[in-house]
Amino acid sequence: MQPENTAVACGSDLHRPQLTAADGSEPESATLRKPQDVATGLGSMVTRLRHLQLARFSGLYLWALIIAIFSIAVPSTFLTSTTWDNIAATQAITAIVAVGLLGALAAGSFDLSVGSNLGLAAIMCSWLTVNHHVNPVLGVMVTIAVGLLIGAVNAGLVVGIGIDSFIVTLGVSSILLAVTELISQDRFIGPLPTSLQNFANWRFLGLTGVVWYAIGIAIVVWTVLEHTAAGRRTAATGANLEAARLSGVATNRHRVVTLIVSATLASLAGALVAARTGEVSSTIGAPYLLPAFSACFLGTTQLKPGRFNVWGTILALLLLGTGVAGLQLLGGQLWVSDMFTGSALVLAVAFAALGQKQRLRKLKKQTEAQAA
Amino acid sequence: MTDQPLRAAATARTSASPGSAHHSESARRMPVEDPATTLLSLRGISKVFAGQWALKSVDLDLRPGEIHALLGKNGSGKSTLIKILAGFHQPEAGSRAFVRGEPLSLGSPRHAHEAGLRFIHQDLGLADTLDVVDNLALGTSYGSRGWLSDRRERRRAGQILAEHGLDVDVTQPVEGLTAAQKSMLAIVRAVHDTPDGSGLLVLDEPTASLPERDVEHLFTLLDNVRAKGITILYVTHRLPEVFQIADRVSVLRDGQRVITRDTAGLDEDTLAELIVGHAIAKREQTAASTQRASGRAVVVRGLQGPVVRDVSFDVHPGEIVGLTGLVGSGFEATLALIFGAAAATAGEVLVEDRQIRLGHPAAAIASGIGYVPPDRKRLSAIQTWTLRENLTLTDVPTLGNMPLLDARADKRDAVDWLTRLDVDTTDPERLMSSLSGGNQQKVVLGKWMRRGSRVLLLDEPTIGVDVGAKDRIYALLREAAAAGTAVLMASSDLQELEAVCGRVLVLRDGRIVAELAGKQITADRLFAESAGLDIREVPTHKERTNAT
Repeated sequence: MQPENTAVACGSDLHRPQLTAADGSEPESATLRKPQDVATGLGSMVTRLRHLQLARFSGLYLWALIIAIFSIAVPSTFLTSTTWDNIAATQAITAIVAVGLLGALAAGSFDLSVGSNLGLAAIMCSWLTVNHHVNPVLGVMVTIAVGLLIGAVNAGLVVGIGIDSFIVTLGVSSILLAVTELISQDRFIGPLPTSLQNFANWRFLGLTGVVWYAIGIAIVVWTVLEHTAAGRRTAATGANLEAARLSGVATNRHRVVTLIVSATLASLAGALVAARTGEVSSTIGAPYLLPAFSACFLGTTQLKPGRFNVWGTILALLLLGTGVAGLQLLGGQLWVSDMFTGSALVLAVAFAALGQKQRLRKLKKQTEAQAA
Repeated sequence: MTDQPLRAAATARTSASPGSAHHSESARRMPVEDPATTLLSLRGISKVFAGQWALKSVDLDLRPGEIHALLGKNGSGKSTLIKILAGFHQPEAGSRAFVRGEPLSLGSPRHAHEAGLRFIHQDLGLADTLDVVDNLALGTSYGSRGWLSDRRERRRAGQILAEHGLDVDVTQPVEGLTAAQKSMLAIVRAVHDTPDGSGLLVLDEPTASLPERDVEHLFTLLDNVRAKGITILYVTHRLPEVFQIADRVSVLRDGQRVITRDTAGLDEDTLAELIVGHAIAKREQTAASTQRASGRAVVVRGLQGPVVRDVSFDVHPGEIVGLTGLVGSGFEATLALIFGAAAATAGEVLVEDRQIRLGHPAAAIASGIGYVPPDRKRLSAIQTWTLRENLTLTDVPTLGNMPLLDARADKRDAVDWLTRLDVDTTDPERLMSSLSGGNQQKVVLGKWMRRGSRVLLLDEPTIGVDVGAKDRIYALLREAAAAGTAVLMASSDLQELEAVCGRVLVLRDGRIVAELAGKQITADRLFAESAGLDIREVPTHKERTNAT
């Protein structure tokens, strides 16, 4: 009966590399732990708390707290428009990556290739326009097309052949990095043509172009993911693949499309990074991976607990971005931001695991009480 | 209540049988049979589940080296008894067991194993992707020499298998073996390390999923095992097997042991009566069902797949048809094949005379089929989602022709259906996981009814469902049928089929072997057909009372 299942699940989890703790709910899965398990864990932890509103918006309060602390600690540098402009612009790029990744996670696949995909796009865009004098518009279009192709390859391997997304995208990520290094020959490429730089650096209402792109993309993804029937089915695919399939959801299609969207948006973000900085090297992609993942998972604790949701992700990004910027202003050390982002992710996942365990224990108690 | 006198007679027989009367006065020493002639003695084994006696003071003695069959209907207490022996359940106080006269502390898998008790359940516990060598080593150990040598392990595995007359390539993954070879491997693994002449092998329906021709091989192996001095307790539903292989037989009914005796001198009819508790009516010749060519909601022809060998039948609109059989007969796999949840190897399914693509749930749904899987937690509902999202997933409401969600309709529909289904709550935002099994099942049913499904397929629709919710689910099914829906339910709950179905198809060995309709449908009759009993010409008690 119940305890038997749990035991089986725990056992089968042991030999598997995974991002989260065992939740014991799905002994059948022969794949890596899915992103949803982390998400529901975070959600259940939060729903467990009585003050739901406080929990749902805890990110907002925390953000306010961080702003207040740094405003007191380093008022002269923190409360300047340059700082805020910078936070917004860097987080805008991450936001585009994260929002793309969100779709893949919602449909139940990890896409670990977004970072190196972004790096390849940035290099490719620069290489085409600088080294080969390709028209900037065409250059960006080719770059994005390559991203789309990479997404299709990922999807083919994950859905077509049925390899675990974690493994596929990890491998593809390394391949993309190799190609990036090959193209760049370990040198900076730049400066990019001004027309291309203008593509990212125009201003409107005090905000740079990249921020507007991010806002636009977030709105589109939010609408599709949270306010269409297709989005509902995508989420069902990730929440319980087999149940979704038996409810008539074309699960394969949803997984393919979300992986392609994830890769395409990552390459668009890459083109924007290149345009924004004007000069790029092969190492530019990697630092975007962890913040994007952290934001998606932290986002599941916010606004719509337990679900991958766009505005929760954006809120998490602002929180992380503000924290990192403030810490850098305080100490100026580079390691601080990595430490901050990494700890945030690990802590969030740890809370998820604890919440999940708590929930299991509670469910078990309930069933025992019913049986008695 | 109708079979009261018979039941009383049976109880009288129970108390008259030796053993059961003695357990109260025997405080310390083992009563009745002396240790030299008894391998395992059970005394006063009781177990209560949710206020119900699953086992009531059962005594049982097994002689060394015998094959002892244990029989009984579903729910008679067989599995509970075995699980207590295996240490999986803790028995009630006062339950005692002795192995060769030594007390065995019940409720501990380790103690059971050390005493030489070995168990093989229907799920054999083999790791399909590992090879034979590794599977043999599972559960025991790789030996104490520390260094694992593939060659040595392989040689040893080959020897062990050869000793038991099992000839397979030991480097082959287990998934490549036949069903019979798998069962045999599991048996060899279980017994190869038992202490000489003292082991007990408990087999829980080992032939349930075996085709008949493979059963012979298995019996040869069991004879071999017995020749090595191992005692066998053999649980089965198939009565003919008892006479083929068992020396003695015990029957459990309603948690009590009804009888233990030698199989010699017994016949199937007597045995069947003992199991059911009263005589079983002979099957009447059913007139060949005159089925209309038109108005068939579902037509299934030559359906084949895992376990299912050749199944054909029709269901008319407004009919509630049951499917049943023993585990492994194919009744539990048929609906998933029709719906496309599992892959069929052959056959065709027509819904309202239009053929549907097999293996594609979406195609089945589009043609008007709804499917309620047996495993609610994993397959039929998204536990972490709200009731609203679960209810509307099969047909998400949108704003006109636009792809946008119609949130208002979504919510309104959910509330409407929660009310209509009589779910405990009408709050559409409650999580699925927060509902009881019965209420969850209502929601699952509702998501198909809301879609206007014209065919409902239900696998074990009331498993883990409380009585009140059961009645509501039956009412919903009748309602749907009255509205012209064809309902097809696969169930091992025979009372349920008796209560709900207008027609029941019984499967055995992957084929339909009987079709009962109307008053012919009784739980006893269904049991007899499932187990393949040859039934004497005796009217049932019900029919007798009706006649007078």
